[in-house]
Amino acid sequence: MDPVITVEHLTFRYPTIASASTEAAALKDVSFSIHAGEFVGITGPAGAGKSTLVLTINGIIPHFQSGIFQGKVLINGRDTFETSCSEISRQVGSVFQDPEAQLVTPTVEDEIAFGLENFGFEPGLIESRIQEALHLIGITNLRNRSTSELSGGQKQRVSIAAAVALRPGILILDEPTSELDPMGTMEVFEVLKQLNQQFGLTIIVVEQKINILMEYIQRLLVLNQGSLVFDRTPREIIKEPETLHSVGLRVPPVSELAYLLKKAALYTEELPLTVDEAYSGLQKSLGRRKEEK
Amino acid sequence: MSVIISYFQRDSMVHRLNPLTKMIWSVVLMMLSFMVTNVYILAVLFLSIVLVAYLAKILKEMLPAFIGLLYFAAFFLLFQVFFIPDGKTLFVLIPGTHLLRVTDQGLLFSAAMGIRLMVIAASFPVLLGTTQVKDLVVMLVEKLKIPYAYAFMFITSIRFIPTFVQEMDLIIQAQCSRAHRLDKGNFIKKFLSICPLAIPLMITSVKKAEQMAISMETRGFGSGKRTYLHHDKFALKDWMICCSLFVLMVIGIFFNIKGFLG
Repeated sequence: MDPVITVEHLTFRYPTIASASTEAAALKDVSFSIHAGEFVGITGPAGAGKSTLVLTINGIIPHFQSGIFQGKVLINGRDTFETSCSEISRQVGSVFQDPEAQLVTPTVEDEIAFGLENFGFEPGLIESRIQEALHLIGITNLRNRSTSELSGGQKQRVSIAAAVALRPGILILDEPTSELDPMGTMEVFEVLKQLNQQFGLTIIVVEQKINILMEYIQRLLVLNQGSLVFDRTPREIIKEPETLHSVGLRVPPVSELAYLLKKAALYTEELPLTVDEAYSGLQKSLGRRKEEK
Repeated sequence: MSVIISYFQRDSMVHRLNPLTKMIWSVVLMMLSFMVTNVYILAVLFLSIVLVAYLAKILKEMLPAFIGLLYFAAFFLLFQVFFIPDGKTLFVLIPGTHLLRVTDQGLLFSAAMGIRLMVIAASFPVLLGTTQVKDLVVMLVEKLKIPYAYAFMFITSIRFIPTFVQEMDLIIQAQCSRAHRLDKGNFIKKFLSICPLAIPLMITSVKKAEQMAISMETRGFGSGKRTYLHHDKFALKDWMICCSLFVLMVIGIFFNIKGFLG
């Protein structure tokens, strides 16, 4: 099957940076592809080019942000240069960092209707899509609320509902939980997991909170200074924590602890991604040690 | 201020009217108030607004605005009444002199001016109190063919008021915790003390605006002909009210011209 997103040798440089050297490029020769139904995480230190990468996938670059663009981005096989931004937005739903600034209308209902109205859907269809989106995200009770009185997690779920209402095949989220507390972060990731598993939505999420990210995703892309440095599954990455250390990131503490214990031959099971896994792994390892004695 | 632009959710016949009908009502009242010079008819016009507010079940909320207008009109009357010398002298404020003389014509004319002011200003709070801004905007776009981008700008500016108030509070707190003083010194010092608040607010506003523009683009803003979820029907009662308002207008114009001719 063809990939839904293909990025080939993508280099992008913002026009405001005076220096023309490749050092100043926001993205440097990035190549990867994503298949339908994948749940991909993107992480990296600040200024690594994560947000720029998001903007190249949802078509804001090159349509609204000028700059020097080399390489290719294909969405469902079509070059983003040759597809208009609104066509891309039918295929790629976007959710951003700031829950305040991306809600453009005064009420939840209007917010979800906004995209549908822009594309000229019939009022009857808009109504059924609103109900569907609210139901999928589990926020039917918020329908008639004013957006300004919602909590951060609720606001982000409204943004996801607004994106999902257009029924895109791909959902891309740029640090959707950076302004949320742990509870709100969980809410957002649970919704993403459900959308991915039950409806086969391809999900790409840029996230700094690597602990929770590793629990949910199937594949992690790590950017550093504009380059794609790793592209592996979480299980592969926790086997070699040093690779993440080299770009100033860490694997989840439980994984690192188990890794160090394993090095000292105190942990015998597969390396854990979550506390629960680590707990059962440690119990089994301890049991084995007792048997050996 | 907030009372003037707030919407009050009620189940009333005024709320159920088409936004266009209410808009026409507001404009017709304003035009009539300019045509009519008779103080009693002007008073009736004002009372009709109070009646509409009562029918809309928002009289209690509107009362502060109405009373405020009353003070304003009284002030207006006091300001004007001494400067009209025509007509019979009713009384003189300082006895024994000719200073501050109040005449019957002066009193009627100034009262008419004051009430006219009240009529012009009172219908808008009632309009906005009974109509959601988004419905007004849909009406402006659909019926009056105003480009959606302009109407959207209007909605968004209202949507962002609470956000900016929050942002401003945060900036004030942040600057005060760095020992910034707000209200000290002369005019220039005061102005300079606002800069540390205004500049961060402007920067965050520009950033938010940019983020919002991106968010709109990724949801197909301006991608072609737009539809609307909510459609207000122009019902029979709307036609009836608009027709009676039209008749009132014609009568007003007729008497106005006749008055000029006679």
